[in-house]
Amino acid sequence: MSLVLDPDRIAMVAKGVSAIVASRDATMRPSIMRAVGSHISADGQEVTVYLRRSQSRQLLQDITATGEIAVVFSEPSTHRTLQLKARQAKQRAAHADDLPVLQAYLQSMVNEVGKVGYGPRYVAAMLAAPLQDVVAVTFKPAAAFDQTPGPRAGSALACTTPPRP
Amino acid sequence: MSEALSLHTIRPCLEGAIPAVMATCDPDGTPNVAYISQVVYVDAAHVALSFQFFNKTRQNILRNPRASVLVLDPVTAHFYRLHLLYERTEDSGPVFESMRAQLAGIASHAGMAEVFELKGADIYAVERIESVAGEGLPAPAPRSGLLHTLRLCSESIARCSGLDELLQGALQGLQDKLGIQHAMVLMLDASAQQLYTVASCGYATSGVGSEIRLGQGVIGMAARERTPVRISHMTHAALYSHAIRESMDAHATPDAPPLRGLDIPYPGLPEPHSQVAVPLLSAGRLLGVLFAESPEDMRFGFEDEDLLVAIAGQLAAAIDLLQAAPDAPEPLPTPTAAPPVSGSALRVRHFAANDSVFINDDYLIKGVAGAIVWKLLRDHQHTGRVDFTNRELRLDPALRLPDVADNLEARLLLLQRRLQENCPHIHIEKTGRGRFRLCVLRPVVLEDA
Repeated sequence: MSLVLDPDRIAMVAKGVSAIVASRDATMRPSIMRAVGSHISADGQEVTVYLRRSQSRQLLQDITATGEIAVVFSEPSTHRTLQLKARQAKQRAAHADDLPVLQAYLQSMVNEVGKVGYGPRYVAAMLAAPLQDVVAVTFKPAAAFDQTPGPRAGSALACTTPPRP
Repeated sequence: MSEALSLHTIRPCLEGAIPAVMATCDPDGTPNVAYISQVVYVDAAHVALSFQFFNKTRQNILRNPRASVLVLDPVTAHFYRLHLLYERTEDSGPVFESMRAQLAGIASHAGMAEVFELKGADIYAVERIESVAGEGLPAPAPRSGLLHTLRLCSESIARCSGLDELLQGALQGLQDKLGIQHAMVLMLDASAQQLYTVASCGYATSGVGSEIRLGQGVIGMAARERTPVRISHMTHAALYSHAIRESMDAHATPDAPPLRGLDIPYPGLPEPHSQVAVPLLSAGRLLGVLFAESPEDMRFGFEDEDLLVAIAGQLAAAIDLLQAAPDAPEPLPTPTAAPPVSGSALRVRHFAANDSVFINDDYLIKGVAGAIVWKLLRDHQHTGRVDFTNRELRLDPALRLPDVADNLEARLLLLQRRLQENCPHIHIEKTGRGRFRLCVLRPVVLEDA
C-alpha cells in the first residue's frame, strides 16, 4: 500500500512553492534548510528536493545516516501548506538535466514570492543554486499532513505507516 | 563555513517580515518542519518563539527540547540557523504581551487575524547561531547619524525648563529629527488606572484629555507591561487599534444631558499601519507613554524603537524632575489686579460625583483637574484672587492629590490646554515655578450640581 496524494496537492507541489527540508541526527537533534528546487512525479509517488551542499552539510549527513526526511511545501500567497515525510531518501549530485527543473522552480517562486512583496532579485538571491553545489534528494512520501494554519493544521492525510529503517 | 554570531547582529531577521521555519524531532525519531510567525529577541542568549497552535511542533519540543530554526534576512536574503533549546512558556508579562501585539499586526498583514492567536511565548536558549553559506545581496549601508539624532533630541530635552515646553519640544524633535509626523505623550493616572493625553502633534484635534485604560491597545499594553510595543502592519489589527473614535454623544442619556461627552475623542490616525508605544519610566516608576504612529506599513524598525526608548528615558527623567522641583514657598506678596471682565456670563457647572466641569453645557474636564478648576473659580469668585501656587493645591485636602507622584504639573497643563481649546475666556498662565495666574475675561456663574 502506498500513500496517495490528491491531485490538488500534487499540483501545488508541482507548480513550485516554498520547500523546507528537515532531518535529525542520532541524538535526535534536528537539522533544517530551505530547498532551492523541487519536483514531484505526476502520480505523487516520487518527490525530489534540491539542496545546496554548502548550506546543508548537517542536514544531508543526517538524511544519509538516519534516512529521516520531512519537507514542508507552502504557497506563500495562500498559506496552503503540506508536509511530506519519509524514512528513506536517495541523494545524488545534481547535473545538467536538472537545470530545467531548477529554472522552472525559480520562475514559479519569483511569481509566488512576488505576490507577497519580494522582487525577482531577492528571490534569485534566496534560491541561488550553482549546479556544482546542488544535491538532489529523492524520496517516496510515506506520510502527509495538511499544515495550512487553522483548525485542521497538522491533521494526517490518508497514509501508510512508514516502515522503520 | 559557519561562524559564531551574536543575536544582536541578526536583528533584521527577527522583525517578522519573513516567517521563520523550525525543525523539531519526535522522540521516536521523526523530524517535523513548521512555519513560525515570530522569533523575537529576548536577551543576548534567548529568543522567544510564538506558540499559536497545539500542533506537532508543540508536542515535540515538550518531549525533546532541541530545535533548529532557519531565519532569512529580509534585505540580503542571507540565511541564519539558530540551534535552540526549549526552556519554558510564558503566557503573560512583557515578552508575551509585546509578541501578542506584534502578532496581531502580522496576522492582519497575512489576512489571518482570526486564526492567529498567541497562546504563549516559548522561551528558548540559543546554543549557537550559524551563518549559512550563500552569495546573498549586498547589505544596505547602516542608517547613519542615529546617535547624532539622539544627541539633538537629548539636547533639546535638556534645555527645557517647564513641562509644557518639554513635551512640545520632545514631540517637535521627533517630527524634525526623526520624521515622525504623528505622536503623543500620555500620562498615567494611577488611581484611575488609565492614561490621559497631555500633548500631541500631527492630528486634526489635539485630543488632550482623552483617556486610555491600562492594557487597552498598543498604548495601554505598553503601560501595563512596561515594555515597548511595536506593530508593523496593523490595518485590521482592530484589537490594538486606537482608531475607534467615540462620538461626543455616546454617553448621553435623557435624564442627564449635561453629562454627555465625558469622553474626549482620541486623536489618533483613522487607519494607522504602524504604531510604536514606549513606556515613560523614571526611577522605576511608570509616568506615562510616548506613542508614535504612521499611515505606512513597517514605518518603525528596531532601530527606531531603540531610539524612542532612549529618548523616552530622558524625557521621563525630565518630566519627573520638573514635577518634583520645589514650589514657590508663598504666594506673591503683591496681588495682581484682575483683568477686566466683560461680555455675557459663562455658566460653569460642577458635578461632585466625578468632579466633572461643564462650561455652558460643554464638557471641559473631570477628575483632579476638574476639582482644581472648580477650586480656582470659587476662590476667584469669593476673594477676587487671581494668583495661585502649586503648593496650596497640594495642601488642599478637597483636591485629594496623592502624597507622592501627584503629577500636578501635568494636570495643570492638561487643564490649561483644555481651557485653551474649549473656553478661551478663562485661561491659566504660568507666572513662575510652582505659580500660575487664573485669567477670567467674562463674568462667571458657578453652579454646584
